[in-house]
Amino acid sequence: MSLASASGAPGRPVGLPSGWAVAARQLRAVKILFPFLVLIAIWWAIDAAGNFSDRVLVSPKRVFDTVIMLISHGVLAEYVSTSLKIIGIASFISIVVGVPIGFAVGANRYAARSLEGFLRFLQGVSGIAWLPLVIIWFGFTHTTTLAIVIYTLIVPIIFNTMVGARAIPEQYELALRSLGAGRLRLITDVYLPGALPSIVVGLRLGMGYGWRALIAAEMLVRQGGLGDLIFGARTSGQIDRIIGGMIVIGALYLLIDRLLVQPIENLTIARWGVLRK
Amino acid sequence: MSVLTVPTGRPRHKVRLLNRLAWFLVPAAPFLIVLALWALAGEIFKPSRQTLPPIGDVVAAIYELAVSGQLATNVAASLYRLLLGSLLGLVTGVIGGFIVGLNRKIAETLNPVVVFFNAISGIVWLPLMITWLGIGTALAVFLIWNTVFFIVFQNTALGVQLVSEVYEQGVRSLGGSRWETLRSVTLPGALPYILTGMRTGLGFGWRALIAAELVGAASGLGTMIFDAAEFHRSDIIIAGCLIIGTISIAMDRWLLLPIERRTVQRWGLVADAEKER
Amino acid sequence: MTSASADKLSDKIVVSGFRHFFETEDGPVQATGHIDLVIRGGEFVTLVGPSGCGKTTLLKALAGFIRPTEGTLTCDGKPIRGPGRERGVVFQELAILPWRTVRRNIGHGLEIARVPRAEREEKVARLIGLMGLAGFEDRYPHELSGGMRQRVAVARTWAADPDVILMDEPFAAVDAMTRLTLQEELGRLCAATQKTVFFITHSVDEAVFLGDRVLVMTRRPGTIKAVIDVPRRAAGGRDWESFTTDPEMQSIAERVLKLVRAERGASQAEESRAALEATA
Repeated sequence: MSLASASGAPGRPVGLPSGWAVAARQLRAVKILFPFLVLIAIWWAIDAAGNFSDRVLVSPKRVFDTVIMLISHGVLAEYVSTSLKIIGIASFISIVVGVPIGFAVGANRYAARSLEGFLRFLQGVSGIAWLPLVIIWFGFTHTTTLAIVIYTLIVPIIFNTMVGARAIPEQYELALRSLGAGRLRLITDVYLPGALPSIVVGLRLGMGYGWRALIAAEMLVRQGGLGDLIFGARTSGQIDRIIGGMIVIGALYLLIDRLLVQPIENLTIARWGVLRK
Repeated sequence: MSVLTVPTGRPRHKVRLLNRLAWFLVPAAPFLIVLALWALAGEIFKPSRQTLPPIGDVVAAIYELAVSGQLATNVAASLYRLLLGSLLGLVTGVIGGFIVGLNRKIAETLNPVVVFFNAISGIVWLPLMITWLGIGTALAVFLIWNTVFFIVFQNTALGVQLVSEVYEQGVRSLGGSRWETLRSVTLPGALPYILTGMRTGLGFGWRALIAAELVGAASGLGTMIFDAAEFHRSDIIIAGCLIIGTISIAMDRWLLLPIERRTVQRWGLVADAEKER
Repeated sequence: MTSASADKLSDKIVVSGFRHFFETEDGPVQATGHIDLVIRGGEFVTLVGPSGCGKTTLLKALAGFIRPTEGTLTCDGKPIRGPGRERGVVFQELAILPWRTVRRNIGHGLEIARVPRAEREEKVARLIGLMGLAGFEDRYPHELSGGMRQRVAVARTWAADPDVILMDEPFAAVDAMTRLTLQEELGRLCAATQKTVFFITHSVDEAVFLGDRVLVMTRRPGTIKAVIDVPRRAAGGRDWESFTTDPEMQSIAERVLKLVRAERGASQAEESRAALEATA
């Protein structure tokens, strides 16, 4: 999301001294950090003024120390890698399986119509609701978590691939066919790039749902992962670990979104000028 | 696509009628296929009742839950929380979105914080909020509010920024005050985005609620299926999942879709809500 | 509003020493040159000039949407400080609200002015009849053709009964045939209501056809290069058939075209030179 809107002032830009650019960049960094510093200051003040028990609120410094401790002992790396491994495998499987299904279904309007309602229904039953049943099937294991996350991720991917495939103008296909393109060429040159913006939308939405499903499932399955870290800390009343874990979860999610999903979006949607309405 | 290949020998109008009938019935197909597979799996693998209950058991479970009044109690508890949390999320999200959308300075300052808290919105707060609020309605309402707020907030802010300036200038040149432009331009102009936010937000909120109820409540649909898991009553779990899906679809169809039809679609502004699910 | 026609020969709008710069991140960019201008009451003034010359900037300043960097703008002797009901605007893009029906769009200005319902409805109905929108009162803009939407926009501005009407290429987006009709209708409407109109356009024919006076602007930063009076034989006699057959009108149009061409040619030459420099 971008909260800043582009200003449409007419006029040709005039050259800018290069020192300005560096200063502008530094200013940007300060601008990003500033509101966080304010928040931390407020948190500090509340903690200092309120004289809370350690089981209710701890100081920012305690949380910082805890995170450093978790990192230096290698504990955090273990929790993080468990979560990342599951979301990674789940995304991979969901894309590899979901995209072809989406295309297959999108190619036929009866199939598309029939699956639309079903997919909406599946999406309505959130993945986490199946957790009790899946636990009965697979026990308290990573398989259970993985199954839940795949279920959550794959539905929006199939759905949006289907929508994207159906939105490709028929002329594109006809034009390439008249140039003598075969089926494979149609897939690589028309279907995939044509549907990609929509697939990315599905992936982003799926990651939003999937990441939360992962955290929730980890809280209940208790076999490692960041959800386990913060939920486990609750039972022993370690507020520092809970808040530290939350910050790590937020940062990681942003990292995944900014480093993986957004670049794809920028490459495709922005480059081709295919705008989401 | 295949509609055009009319089999020879059959009268055209008959084919058209059949097609229309198929078009009407086709959404039921995936559900029927799943039911058939379910029945078939029961016949072939003879799983235990706990692993995969026969369809009859699930139907009986739904009946049992409905007659005993358990279903009504739990559905009411869940919906009450959803209603409260979503309303809070909607109101605060729209107000916040307006403030931020109308003021670029505030938007730029707050943007990093919003992005971060959005990344941890919802279920991630569960452990911390259990310690602060305890188990119960307040916890679930907080999680739903937190989920719905960010989605509505971001969509509203975006929508407010994207309302064409020329509409506003038009009303101002008719003598309209600032308040008049807010009321007759900005609010309806941002409505497609607000509605998209509401639809997506309710989807996320419903998931967050079910997840929260699995551990953080004494009643509700999530609690119902989690309790059932303890007694390995998969029939109740599946029944619960079906009900959860049905309610989610019903909310979308009967609550949000009509609002959209009556406003945004009527005005010829198409929301991309359809695509984003 | 009050006596629009009584002070027909008085100065309605006075622009003196106007100059405007846009603030961009890379410093100010000049949008217009020095402009002085007087528009008298009841007059229809058209302004032609190459794209980007600052026409719209001048109009926006008159509308009160932007504050001029230099100079003063007055309407009826009062300085222009912001948008006001006495100065109506018809926009280039469609500015009627998609979420209001034709009727409610046209009546919006009256609603804002708290005109009683009965009076409002009567005025709106009159304009609907005048603009050929009868039968479409309860449609939403997206259900209308481009020409009809522009009619609604014009009617909305007229309904609010401003003294001055500012129009920014209002017919640029409609098809050629519809445009001819709309221009004739506008001519009739103006003759019937005696409004002061300031009309911006790209089209030389449109400018000469509609204007009592045609202003020609230079390329950016634009200043007013020439003022051409267009004699009207019969009051409000604006129809395309007589326009195209009247040799006097045609010779005026030719003169204006030459003036505009010179500017356009110059600005194009400059642009391609700049492009070459940029690639070099």
